[in-house]
Amino acid sequence: MRCFLWGILLTSLLATVSCTKKGGSTGEKVLQLGTPAKVKGFDPIEASDLYSGNEVARVYEGLLQFHYLKRPYELVPNLAAEMPKVSNEGLTYTFKLKKGVLFHDNQCFPGTKGREMVAKDVEYSLKRLADPKLQSKGWWLLDGKIKGLNEWREKYSDAEKVNYEEEIPGMQVLDTYVIQFTLVKPFPQFLYAFAMPFTYVVPREAVEFYGDSFLNNPVGTGPFMTGQYTQANTIIYKKFHKYRDEYYPSEGAEGDEAAGLLKSAGKKIPFVDKIKVTIMPESQPMWLNFLKGNIDAMAIPKDNFNQAMVGGVLNEDFKKKGITEVKKVGLDVTFIAFNHENKLFKNNLKLRAAMSLAFDREFMNKNFYNGISIPAQSIIPPNIAGYIDGYVGPFQNFDLEKAKKLLAEAGYPEGKKLPEITYHFKYDTTGRQNAEAIKQMMGNIGINLKLIGVTWPELVKVVNTKQAMMYGMAWGADYPDAENFLQLLYSPNAAPGSNGSNYNDPEFDKKYEEAVVLPDGPERTKKYEELYKYAAEKVPLIYGFHRVNYVLEHGWFRNYKFIEFDHGVAKYWDIDLEAKDKLKPNL
Amino acid sequence: MQILQYTLRRLLYLLPVIFGVSFVIFILFNVVLGDPTPILLGKNATLKQIEELRHQLGLDRSWLMQYLDVVKSAFTFDFGISWSTKQKISDIIISRAYPSLTLTLPAFVISTTFSILISLFVAYYRGRGIDTFVRVLCIALMSISSLVYILFFQWFFAFHLEWFEISGYEPGFPDFLAYTTLPGIIWIVLSIGPDVRFFRTVMLDEIYQDYVRTARAKGLREVTILLKHVLRNALVPIITYVVIQIPFLILGALLLESFFGIPGLGGVILEAINSSDFPVIKAFAILTSIVYIVFNLITDVLYAVVDPRIKLH
Repeated sequence: MRCFLWGILLTSLLATVSCTKKGGSTGEKVLQLGTPAKVKGFDPIEASDLYSGNEVARVYEGLLQFHYLKRPYELVPNLAAEMPKVSNEGLTYTFKLKKGVLFHDNQCFPGTKGREMVAKDVEYSLKRLADPKLQSKGWWLLDGKIKGLNEWREKYSDAEKVNYEEEIPGMQVLDTYVIQFTLVKPFPQFLYAFAMPFTYVVPREAVEFYGDSFLNNPVGTGPFMTGQYTQANTIIYKKFHKYRDEYYPSEGAEGDEAAGLLKSAGKKIPFVDKIKVTIMPESQPMWLNFLKGNIDAMAIPKDNFNQAMVGGVLNEDFKKKGITEVKKVGLDVTFIAFNHENKLFKNNLKLRAAMSLAFDREFMNKNFYNGISIPAQSIIPPNIAGYIDGYVGPFQNFDLEKAKKLLAEAGYPEGKKLPEITYHFKYDTTGRQNAEAIKQMMGNIGINLKLIGVTWPELVKVVNTKQAMMYGMAWGADYPDAENFLQLLYSPNAAPGSNGSNYNDPEFDKKYEEAVVLPDGPERTKKYEELYKYAAEKVPLIYGFHRVNYVLEHGWFRNYKFIEFDHGVAKYWDIDLEAKDKLKPNL
Repeated sequence: MQILQYTLRRLLYLLPVIFGVSFVIFILFNVVLGDPTPILLGKNATLKQIEELRHQLGLDRSWLMQYLDVVKSAFTFDFGISWSTKQKISDIIISRAYPSLTLTLPAFVISTTFSILISLFVAYYRGRGIDTFVRVLCIALMSISSLVYILFFQWFFAFHLEWFEISGYEPGFPDFLAYTTLPGIIWIVLSIGPDVRFFRTVMLDEIYQDYVRTARAKGLREVTILLKHVLRNALVPIITYVVIQIPFLILGALLLESFFGIPGLGGVILEAINSSDFPVIKAFAILTSIVYIVFNLITDVLYAVVDPRIKLH
């Protein structure tokens, strides 16, 4: 009997273990994606991190979206029927919504049939974002912008219940499909808010039906739907069959046609039947799964870069397997911040410049960014207005002799008389190596850095409480506007705001205030460029890199184009089942 | 009756321990780590927003009131909801403990059983070549970092040979076996070195005792002596060693779960630390302490069960 039981156990074990799949399509188009971080949930107002935002955007939608193919980035309507009408003085934005947009069928609706999305839903969703009881991380998008909204929030911050019925002067539902916003002052970047997951439209019925667990019970209008989110490591989405008629773009940027990105032009989206997203915090399993064809596309992990790219070109072996690469230039900037409230750095341009000149970007690029990232000359990244291609900052290129000279002029020859300078960094393997390299570089001009490795929460704490003397950080774009980067140096945003270096320069502030209220156009670009140069000359930060990587995709993955704001773009992606059947068995 | 009285008395000792643990946790989170609200509100938080959230989370109340909250949750096991996922913490623990246990429990049982058997075997052949070989092998197994095993086994057995899934998880028996077998094997390989070394030492301590010589003098077979006498007498240190590991099985194996995509409790703790989700971290700290104490108590009671000479006072 015992032998029999052991036999059953071993057989079942072998049966389950040996069933690792080798491919072979079932006729169903399944998009297989990996994500490196846990998804916190599906409430748009909680979608503050990139990964949660990506998942939220498969189910929910906003009034606007970024054109998938055109560059520079361009806003186009999504739930809105057309781009909003903006009044001449730039204060009033009138949105007309598409008709016939349905929410997913869900038990929160009478008869479980999803109803039509209307302007009241937009109003409700934005009020949720402003609700003081919900404390959304996305409140900054609307903070101080819509007439009467801050007052509404203030009024209910100590009340037991927030009254959503109360009208807000700057948010008027004009009819079933029209909503109008009135701003306190002109703010052209306001439109970007409607392409961000924070403002995506939710039905009130779902919020009230699910209460606290609304976060885990998504009900949107998006092209895909999913059931209750159990915080498991796999999320399965199914195509929403009542999704309105939307089509793949017929126009793109230069080179898109040659890259085959317009082959699906004018076809109805979404293309795939299912999306399977697997959460894989470690890079090795994600990489191995990609190589086996269990993931359709992924960015090359740092440790596997040399395996995939040889001399800047994709490995021949990969090419034979039908894998191709897509360059990914991120809208971001890494930097080493000085705390300008520390008297050592405040008004001490020569010291800051000396440290910036001692920072060897070439060495850092080679050792930490596979030699492909773009050394930053100032705070604005490439591909947005304000960035000056080819500009070289006065203190941004490695020059040890000049650095020593400036340090001496600052009153610290060979670093003598300098107090101990502490450098806080997020402690992990790369963080430590990075910090050690910076310490070594500063040591070359006689500056002794004391390294303090801390966890991410601790780093945020020391920055927010202005205790960090110097620290390492990066900033990724929330939207493609230089304002989003320049605000890091705007003094009213000092810690705990986004200006964690507490840079306070009235001249910069004045130029910034003049620029950000201007509508997009040559005049604003000129002002942004002036600020770009100013931020390079004054060295408020030691600028690091605009990070570049490659995304690898399998030969069956169609229509992939890198887009920084990739929320909701899975609707454009397709799987060529024939190609998959041919290529996957050879992996 | 004596065991019952002892158990009740030890359970009463739990009370001051819970107060102490709550106090340490409170100091750690409220004084040492400081304000979690900037992390919770993200990179664009304003001072006003931070103040509002502090108020909502009750972080602006007196420290005494906040401490009493921690104590209350330790006694009621009502740890509230997670700040980041808005799920009930008790639900998180229940749902995520299962995947952890499907990995750790079978691996733990197999590794412990194998280790005891191997240690009995090498104790039997003590001083001979096989004993030396096993000892050297144990040291070699222990000398290699767990990360190396994980990376190599995943690459070789799952990717190269395709014997197992690279990563993932399916609940329900036997579906989870396809995903937990390889990490389970790694667990066993990682555990067997230290376990065999410990158990072998315990066995050898016993094997030179007078009662073993007496048993041999009576003509008992060496296998009978080992299984019936040596193993039984070695049970006290073995129980101490084994039972005290059980609470950590529930907590999962952080690295294995992370590399093999198993949605267990190890990952929950890591995520909570990274997102400053204090209620979750507090709940785990309190639960770990309590479970640890309870299993200590079980160990003590088991002593009396396996060795009648031990009296519980």
